Amino acid sequence: MTSESTTCRELLSAQFLQRLEQLALTARKSQIGAAKGERKSKRKGTSVEFADYRDYVQGDDLRHVDWNIYGRLESLYLKLFHEQEDVTVHLLIDASRSMGFGTPAKIELAAKLAAAIGYIGLIGYDRVSAESFADGITHRLAPGRGRAQAPKLLSFLSGVRANGRTALEDSTKSYVLRNRAKGVAVLFSDFLDPEGFEGCLRRLQQSGSDCYAIHILSRDEIDPPIAGDLKLLDSEYAMHVEVSASPALLKRYKQNLEGFCESVRKQCLARGIGYIFAPSDEPFERLTLDVLRRGGMLR
Amino acid sequence: MNQWEQLARNTGTALRGAFIDPVYLWFLAVIPVIVILYLLKLRRTQVVIASTILWRKALDDLTANAPFQRLRKNLLLLLQILIALAVALALARPFFKSEGTAGQNLCVLIDRSASMQAQEAGESRLDLAKQAAIAMVNDMERGDRMMVVTFAENSEVLCELSDDRSRLRSAINAIEASDARTHLRDAYFIAESLRLTVPDLHAVVIGDGNISDLADFSPRGSGQTDSAEGQTGGITLSYLKIGGTTENVGITAFSKRDPAPGEAGEQQALVVLQNAGTEARAVTVTLSFADQPIAVEGVEIAAGEDREVVFALPDLGEGILSAVLDNDDALAVDNTAWLSLRPAAKLRVLLVARPDATSTYFLQRVLSPDPRVELSTIAPESYTPTDDYDLIVFNDFSPEQLPDGTLLFLNALPPIDGLTGEGVIENPPVISVDSEHPLMRFNLNPANVGIRAAVKASLPAGARAVVSTTGGTLIGDLSRGGQQIAWVAFDLANSNWPLNLSFPLFFQNVLAWTPRSALASESSIDAGKSITLLAQPEIAEAVVTRPDGATATVKLDPLRPTFYGDTLRAGVYAAQMGERRELFAVNLLDPNESAIRPEEALALGGAELKAERGSVRQNREVWRLLIAAALCVLALEWWIFSRRAWM
Repeated sequence: MTSESTTCRELLSAQFLQRLEQLALTARKSQIGAAKGERKSKRKGTSVEFADYRDYVQGDDLRHVDWNIYGRLESLYLKLFHEQEDVTVHLLIDASRSMGFGTPAKIELAAKLAAAIGYIGLIGYDRVSAESFADGITHRLAPGRGRAQAPKLLSFLSGVRANGRTALEDSTKSYVLRNRAKGVAVLFSDFLDPEGFEGCLRRLQQSGSDCYAIHILSRDEIDPPIAGDLKLLDSEYAMHVEVSASPALLKRYKQNLEGFCESVRKQCLARGIGYIFAPSDEPFERLTLDVLRRGGMLR
Repeated sequence: MNQWEQLARNTGTALRGAFIDPVYLWFLAVIPVIVILYLLKLRRTQVVIASTILWRKALDDLTANAPFQRLRKNLLLLLQILIALAVALALARPFFKSEGTAGQNLCVLIDRSASMQAQEAGESRLDLAKQAAIAMVNDMERGDRMMVVTFAENSEVLCELSDDRSRLRSAINAIEASDARTHLRDAYFIAESLRLTVPDLHAVVIGDGNISDLADFSPRGSGQTDSAEGQTGGITLSYLKIGGTTENVGITAFSKRDPAPGEAGEQQALVVLQNAGTEARAVTVTLSFADQPIAVEGVEIAAGEDREVVFALPDLGEGILSAVLDNDDALAVDNTAWLSLRPAAKLRVLLVARPDATSTYFLQRVLSPDPRVELSTIAPESYTPTDDYDLIVFNDFSPEQLPDGTLLFLNALPPIDGLTGEGVIENPPVISVDSEHPLMRFNLNPANVGIRAAVKASLPAGARAVVSTTGGTLIGDLSRGGQQIAWVAFDLANSNWPLNLSFPLFFQNVLAWTPRSALASESSIDAGKSITLLAQPEIAEAVVTRPDGATATVKLDPLRPTFYGDTLRAGVYAAQMGERRELFAVNLLDPNESAIRPEEALALGGAELKAERGSVRQNREVWRLLIAAALCVLALEWWIFSRRAWM
């Protein structure tokens, strides 16, 4: 049922990378970037896209005065244009021990999806950073920009391992406090935290970034293949439950699972966070090219 | 038989020695079941999964949504309480009332008196009673035991407490009808005597309830009763009513009346008829002598009434006088009665005493009124040895030689070797009385008799002190060589004994003690009571022919009467003793038996037992069921405990 495969050596094939180059990351909000880029910024700047007029004040560059208006109204107005800047894509990967379960392992899908999104970001002249966390931040890749950063990103994601207990809220809080740069934040997690996931989503919302939650569950969790009398041991906590497989129990489990996923989805929607459900055994290409696009993350 | 079969048999025998019901040892099989469940519980497969959050929640939900979940939460506790409850109740040995025999130890008391011969739709009540008893045997369960006792005039244990059904059935089937009256007392005490060894004995009286000794029946400790049964004297009694017929006319008395001495008149026969039914009946009474009818009379008797019919008799001589009712009713045995007419034989008693003595007056007063006695009195000086008397009473006089016959010496030492006077005891108190001796049987204790002086004498070997005082004997039995000799050691005039009630009773006993007293026996004998056969010179045995033609040989005792007791059937019994043939009439003649209406309840010493129909409700112990239930619940508890994860 479980696989401790936590390493993703061959995350993305060359052919798939080529297909990814046709995609772009969607930022639903305009953010202030760190450098010139290809995304419309909240700043007014020098692009060709008209934004607004404002009164002329002493010291303004006369080249930006709209002389046509002055001719009609005899008042000086300045013509403003949108600035185009880059955004920072934050890839947050839950690397707790529970993410190591499933065939393929949930962490493997998380790393692949993060690699695809990160790669799309890099080729779109966005800054991409990546962090893995369990009960705290375990590994961190500093923001990088440009296609040249892709091998570094893929290498980082290949080295992410599932270990430790889940502490979603603490880890998200730590990320938000450290990263003031707003952008696009993508959280990859199974949200299976005894303390709950609400705090994590609240912290994510508070970051001000354009947030996405990729909810990954393994097939073993969606459709548990249990039979007989079992003692189920928790992979992270010293807890167990004794179950005897019965149709009533399995039915109740699936109802709870659906309720759990629905609860995560509703919380995300309520907080303006994009929610995408990803079973770990779903073909990765289809997830990227179809599900993420339909989820509004890619275009 | 191989060694394994031998081992199994030995084990079975050993188990039956230690357990009443070793079959319940099969419940020990529950133990391995519990152990297996325990092992199954330990062998739950361990599986590591990502998170148990959802599973835990599913289990919680399942529990929360299940009906009676609050109960389920504490299901194990409830089950354990149930186990404790069942075991505690089992220890208390609860019981419930059930139809049929039930009960572990049952004593069946079957009435076989005359009234049980009443016909009920072609079958006698006794047959119905036997069928009911056999149904009880059939209802017996493993470990139940039953005892069969019949009662009529006497009681008889036909089968002691046994769980052998075939033996019980054959004992019940062997019960024969009798024409005797009903006495429950002995049967009851047989059952009650078992109470010490069998505390939970349940006695069931099966019969029609026409029991003659119910009125004076006073079982020990009679107490509270309910509608079905009574606790009398510690045993539980039930009454199973048999029969429903009420119509019967029977002869309840039959006697011959002689005219008083010196009175003119003729002999008469008196027949008393009783109609115990609910309708007036007309019957014809036929009087016969030696099987020849001599008188017939038609009589109409109202319901519930008695009617006397008197026949004038010619001089008939010796033979059997019978009265027959031409009456086709439920009970046949009381439609005929017999009388044995024999010449009146009287005891010849000689009193040798001074006519002017006070004691002589007392002796004459006590002996002469007795109709059985033909008393002669002579003065001591006129006494000559004689053997013409059955009983000779010597008062203040002792002959030189002992005459034949029964002798009573009063205040005179009989001429017997070894008996010598040793002085006088002043004011001798009564110390002890041999109440077993025939002379004191049914007598009062003469403890308050005052005696001024008594002769002190040491008794010869073989003599027996009947009433003793300090250092001597007041009344002694000096019988020897087959001759019965009684001795009273004091002068009647020197005591107040003649004024005491025990005085006439003593003389009644002296008369009865006389072997020839049986000559004066009744002309009719109650069924079930003994026929007295008198000793005849040089005849060693008598052949008794019963009414059904069967004969029995009885050895006769040359010195005292012999009793023949197999008289349960009414009719004429003939005893052939050498050349002499004596006829005895054995009759039912009991108004109680002729009143055949079954009693609805038995009033037993204050405890009234109401009738049960068909079967008897009895107590059935259920502790085995409780223990079995406790074991099952225990196993269930273990099963639930091992599977509580999804409960």
